[in-house]
Amino acid sequence: MNHRFLVSASGLIVLIAGMLLPTMPAAGQATSAAAKTNGTPAKPYTQPRTPDGQPDLQGFWTNTTYTPLERPKDVNKEFFTQEEALELIKKAAEVEGEQTEPGTILDVHYDFTQFGLDRSQGGFSLNLRTSMIVDPPGGRIPPMTAAGQKRAAERAEARKRMGAATDAVQNQSLSVRCILMDRDGPPMLAGAYNNNYQFVQIPGYVMILVEMLHDVRIIPLDGRPQMPQNVRQMMGSSRGRWEGNTLVIETTNFTDKTAFQGASENMRLTERFTRVAEDTMRYQFTVDDPATWAKPWTAETPWKKSIGPLFEHACHEGNYGLYNTLAGARAEEKRAAEGANKPSK
Amino acid sequence: MAVMHREIYQVRDRFKRSTIVPVAMATVLSLFATGAAGQTSTYKAPRSADGKPNLNGIWQALNEASWDVEGHAAAPGIVTALGAAAAVPPGMGVVEGGPIPYQPAAAAKKKENFEKRLTLDPEIKCYLPGVPRATYMPFPFQIIQTQKYIMMVHTFARAVRTIYMDDHKEAPADSWMGWSNGHWEGETLVVDTTGFNDQTWFDRAGNFHSDALHVVERFTATGPDHLLYEATIEDPKVFTRPWKMSMPIYRRVDKSAQIMDFRCVEFVEDLIYGHLRKQPGK
Amino acid sequence: MRTTRAVVVGIGLLLAAAPVLAHHAFSAEFDVTKPMKLQGTLTKWEMINPHSWFHIDVKGPDGQVVSWLIEGGSPNQLIRLGVTKNTLAVGAELLIEGYLAKDGTNKGVGRNFTFTDGRRLFLGGSAPPGK
Repeated sequence: MNHRFLVSASGLIVLIAGMLLPTMPAAGQATSAAAKTNGTPAKPYTQPRTPDGQPDLQGFWTNTTYTPLERPKDVNKEFFTQEEALELIKKAAEVEGEQTEPGTILDVHYDFTQFGLDRSQGGFSLNLRTSMIVDPPGGRIPPMTAAGQKRAAERAEARKRMGAATDAVQNQSLSVRCILMDRDGPPMLAGAYNNNYQFVQIPGYVMILVEMLHDVRIIPLDGRPQMPQNVRQMMGSSRGRWEGNTLVIETTNFTDKTAFQGASENMRLTERFTRVAEDTMRYQFTVDDPATWAKPWTAETPWKKSIGPLFEHACHEGNYGLYNTLAGARAEEKRAAEGANKPSK
Repeated sequence: MAVMHREIYQVRDRFKRSTIVPVAMATVLSLFATGAAGQTSTYKAPRSADGKPNLNGIWQALNEASWDVEGHAAAPGIVTALGAAAAVPPGMGVVEGGPIPYQPAAAAKKKENFEKRLTLDPEIKCYLPGVPRATYMPFPFQIIQTQKYIMMVHTFARAVRTIYMDDHKEAPADSWMGWSNGHWEGETLVVDTTGFNDQTWFDRAGNFHSDALHVVERFTATGPDHLLYEATIEDPKVFTRPWKMSMPIYRRVDKSAQIMDFRCVEFVEDLIYGHLRKQPGK
Repeated sequence: MRTTRAVVVGIGLLLAAAPVLAHHAFSAEFDVTKPMKLQGTLTKWEMINPHSWFHIDVKGPDGQVVSWLIEGGSPNQLIRLGVTKNTLAVGAELLIEGYLAKDGTNKGVGRNFTFTDGRRLFLGGSAPPGK
């Protein structure tokens, strides 16, 4: 598909042919039934294979979604009807595309829509589930163990002692610091935009290029052991294997810096990738962390085939915004200290 | 694309050159005074599924180019507290045919870069290393080769390059690692990279380029665990002519070899943002 | 996005799936009490991440040209749709509404980028209300 912009003589940007649109299947289409059962098609999908016989997951994918991790409190069922889901998404997309109110905090931002960064502009897979979490069946993260709660409280205390977010760079989030994004995880979860991935497979490895940060996961399939216990990485240590048509990735060796949903560094994550249709891949993950939750919990979300390229995301190199934020906070304090007229925010 | 004609210098004795014989070859022959693999190679690597030389694997350069691509003696490091641990190790250099041919103004800039390298070297700030520096930093990198895409994943800052093997496009915008279009010439992977910004260096000695940089690399297997790596550097804003570096690259054969995280942003935050920290009592 | 609370039940919850971290960082970088409007000539669009930067030359009433840096969005999705460094011409005249940086320099965030004929840049869609 050709997606082209032309600049006419007056400088107008004109979209010539097509734009990546989200899949909005017509009612009654086969894929809607597939979506209801979480993407498993009515008739079996014939997996294309790589030259060395792996199910072929290669290409560009996006995990953009309108589905929250946890079921909203006022929703008591596992699936929306297709009509309900499409209506909710349509309204959310309209709200995304609308202008913000001048003079409000939300207005202090470039317009996502202008840069094509709304969720509705980049494609996504329709998901009728009311939450990503499928187990426990209530669709919510199970309650924390006492140890988990204690750790969460200690983290909150430590966080408070660090001071305000703008006091020091280390007080900002890992994503603002360009160290790790939710798109990396693992588990790999969509953020606001650029939720794009490229899968490349060779004998013995699956490589996942994550657009944000331009991060790379290289998953060996040869059954080698995980890294030594004392070697901890932000994205952990990952080992993969095929179970039929499903790529299973086991990850351990996390640090205590990511704390996914409050997890400890001993979290064990199992991810499962299954291509259920030409343009749909089911992504499922199970979080196993007895130090935090009495039982493992599982979530799943469909990914949609997308287009490339994944342009270099040199985040740290281009992170002027972080510098400006800290400089701005110091400048405001200076002005306040010098008795400036305007109240500082 | 035409097969490159290569000139072979046959040094009969060390005081004069013999007749220069231009020959068109599919395999690489390198007989140079400095650097390079220095051996004739008619090796044919095992084939990948699509019939191309299989360069998959974890590789690493073993030389001192990362400190200074030109020949250099041992020298003190820039941080005296680290003593010999941060000294510059001696190296015979990987640049062929004499010193890097800087234009006069650029030569002065290089000298200034060297003198101010503690504040100017992008490596120190954990910035993406660019090309070809990423190839010869002293850490492993992995080549992940398919028919359409060849990925090169580097340890330092998890720098990654996508080499487009078909559907060659121009760089949509400038980047740190450039935009790479690749093709095969017999046993050699040829990678043509443009679209660089002007932010990277070639080494820790301040050798640099502009955003007009154009790099053509050649990767050729010379044995089951060896590659010959050649990089021709062209930059009309900085150099008087194209120049070349070459070196062997070695396969990491240890069974546990893997690209590990070198997420260095955390290590440099105080360096970059430390002066913006809120001071107590303010 | 409308900030009114009168949203249909469920929409706000679906929207919760898209983290708004970026907003918090931006209101710390730019001053919501200092809206700005400028018109100038593009000298360079730095197509970088995490946010792109528009270099704008603004001619003051005294004829002096002042350089401004205006923050915009990641170019990556636009690149997927065919935008390149040649799309937006150097010399293009742009009208930019936004907010000033808190650090007091000639920097701002561009809420709306518009050409002088009123059309919005890239995928801007319809003009904001009241324009």
